[in-house]
Amino acid sequence: MKPFRSSINLLLVVLLTLASVASAGKVYFDSKWTLWKDADILIWNTGKDLPIEPKEFCLSLRRSNSGIGDPKCRTLGEWERDTIAIRYGNWLSANMEPGLAAGYLKARHPSMSAKLQAIEDKIVMFISDKGSELQIAIFDETSSEPKAGGVVPMNADKIALGDEIASTFFDRNTTRRLSKEERAKKLTEPDDFYKEVPTFRAWAGISAGFAQAQIPFTPDNWYSSHTRSQVRNYRITKDSVSLWNFIDDSTPLYTLYVGGTWYGFIGGEIFYRYSSHKVKTDDRDTVYKELDHWDFSQHEIGLNVMFSQTFEPLKWFDIHAFAFLGFQYSFYSEDIALKDDNKKPSKAYESRIKFEDAYKGALLGIGSQFVVLDHYGFSIRTGISSRGKDVYTEPSPDAAAEPTTIGASTVDWFISFGLEYHWSL
Amino acid sequence: MRNVLVLTIAVLACALTGCSQSYQWSKKHPAYSKAPYGELAIAGVQEAFVLTRTNWFAKRLDFGDSTQIKSTVFCAQVMLDEFRGGYSKLTVFPEKALAQFPEESQKLDDRIFMKGHLPDQGVQMLDSAGNVPPIVLLIHEVIVGTDLKREDYFDYAYTHNESQERSAVQNISAIVSYTLWDNLKQRPLFSAVDEIQRPIVQFTLKDLELLVRSSVQQIRSNLYTGANK
Repeated sequence: MKPFRSSINLLLVVLLTLASVASAGKVYFDSKWTLWKDADILIWNTGKDLPIEPKEFCLSLRRSNSGIGDPKCRTLGEWERDTIAIRYGNWLSANMEPGLAAGYLKARHPSMSAKLQAIEDKIVMFISDKGSELQIAIFDETSSEPKAGGVVPMNADKIALGDEIASTFFDRNTTRRLSKEERAKKLTEPDDFYKEVPTFRAWAGISAGFAQAQIPFTPDNWYSSHTRSQVRNYRITKDSVSLWNFIDDSTPLYTLYVGGTWYGFIGGEIFYRYSSHKVKTDDRDTVYKELDHWDFSQHEIGLNVMFSQTFEPLKWFDIHAFAFLGFQYSFYSEDIALKDDNKKPSKAYESRIKFEDAYKGALLGIGSQFVVLDHYGFSIRTGISSRGKDVYTEPSPDAAAEPTTIGASTVDWFISFGLEYHWSL
Repeated sequence: MRNVLVLTIAVLACALTGCSQSYQWSKKHPAYSKAPYGELAIAGVQEAFVLTRTNWFAKRLDFGDSTQIKSTVFCAQVMLDEFRGGYSKLTVFPEKALAQFPEESQKLDDRIFMKGHLPDQGVQMLDSAGNVPPIVLLIHEVIVGTDLKREDYFDYAYTHNESQERSAVQNISAIVSYTLWDNLKQRPLFSAVDEIQRPIVQFTLKDLELLVRSSVQQIRSNLYTGANK
C-alpha cells in the first residue's frame, strides 16, 4: 500500500509542477526568433538590483532546455550606463502591455536601433521589475522591435525566477551559431529574390525508354491492321503504308542528346535515337526455313525546338517543364542472315522487301527535367514521332514502274527516362 | 447591347486597376480611446504654417513686402485663438519646442507618409512652468494655398509632380498634418492629415481666418471620431 501511495504523491507533485509551469508566465507576443546553441545571453536590467543571478540563469537554461549546449550569461553593463538605452528601456517598460503588438514597441531613436543592429548573434534579454511582475523582452540583431515579450510573476528566489523565465521564453529548438567566416559569407550571398535566370543553360543526357505504335488511351483498332500484319514470302503484306506492317513496333528505345535553353524559355536539342525491330515473318510460310534472323536497326537523328518554363520549389531543386517540336531523319539498316547450312538463298530472299534510304518525320511532345544542385538531372519525356517519305526528292523517270513507297506514314508513341548533366553559362 | 458590354468591361478594368484611389488618412494607436476634453497642450503651431502661391496672396492681402512671414504669423495666431475657444485649459509650448527632436516619418497608408518632429522615447515634454502635460497636440505642418489636394503632398508617388494647373481659383485650402501625442508614455495616439477647402468669391483676410478656424474644427472633430473608431 505504501509504495502505491508514494507514487500517487509523486504523480500529484509532477502534475502540480506542470500546472504551475503552464499558468505562470504570460507571453504577450513571440515571433519566431532564433535561439542559438551555446547562446550568449546579455541581461539588460533597468532597475538598480538584478532580480536574477546571471550564472544561475544559465544553469536554469540548461535545466529547462537540453539542446542549449553551454550558454554564457552576463549583464549588459554598457547599455545600463547609456542614456539613450536607459531612455528606451524605461519607455519600453512603461509601454509594454498585453495585447499590444511588437511593432508599437519599436526603438525609434537612430542610435538605439544602431545598438540593436550591433548585437550580432547574441541575445539581449530586457528585464524590468514592476513589483509583482518581472517584464521580459527578447531582442536580436534582426529588428529594432522586441522579438518576444511578456511577464513572469516576481519571485524573491532568484533561482526559481530564472527557472520561470527559462521555461517561459527559452523553451524552443536551438540552432547552431555560425562561425565568423560563415557569417561573413552569408552576408555576401546574393538574395534568392534577385536570382537571375542564366542566359544559357545546356545539358547532355542519355535516356532509355519504350516506343510502340499505339498511342495510350486510343482505341486498339486504329492500329491493329498494321500491328497484326505479318510478312509472307519476304515481301507480301496487306498494305505497306506503315513500317509497322513489316517490323515489330513495340521496342526499347535509347537516346543520346545535347541541348540548351536561352533565358529559361526557348531552346533546342540535337538527338540520336536507336531501336531494333524484328521483321514480323509469318511462321506458317515455309520459305523462312532458310532464315536465321532478320532485323532492322532504326537510327534517327533530329533537332527539336523547345519551349520551357522553370519552377524552383526548393533552393537546390529546379523543375524545367517543356514542350518540344522537331524533325528527324530515320535510317533503317538491315541485319539478315541465313542458317549456316543453307548456302544458296531462295528466289524470294533475293527479291525481299527494301526500305527507303531515309525517312523524314516529325516529333511532338512534352517533358520535364528535374535538376538537383544545378547540375544533376533526371528527365522524362513523352510524345509521338512520325516517319514519311521525303517528298522533296526528284521523281525518277521510271517512277511509275516502282512499287508504292514503303512506310510512308509510320507513327509511334514513345516515353523515355533520362539522366542528364546540366551546366549554365 | 455591345455598348453595355464595353461599358461593363471598362468598369471591371477600372475596378481591377483601381481607378478610384482611396486612402487611409489617419492612424490610431490601440490605446487611444478618449479624445482630449477640456485640457490640451499644443506644440509646433508657430512654425507649422507654409504659404504656397505667395504672389497670389500678396496681390490680395495688405501685408506689404513680407506676405509669407506676416500671413503665417497671422494664421498661427488665429489657430491658437480657435483652440483656446475649444479647450478651457490650453497650454501652448513655446516656439522651437519640437525642433530639438529628430524628424520622423509616420506611415498612414501604403503610399501616405507623414513627416514630423516627434519627441524621443523616454523623454517627456515640459511646458514653460515645468509641468508635464499628459497629452500634447503636435502640429507638424499646415500648407495654405489655393485648390490644394493632400495626395499631391503626401502620396509619395505624386510628390514629384510639379505640374501646376492654371485655372480660376475656386477654393482656398489648408492641409494640416498633426499627431496627438501621449506625453506620459511617449507614443503617437492619433496621427492624421486633413484637407480643408473654403470656397471664395472675393478673397479677403477674413477668408483666410475662417479657413484656419474651420481647420481647427476639422482637427477637433477628427480627434473625436478617431477615438471612437
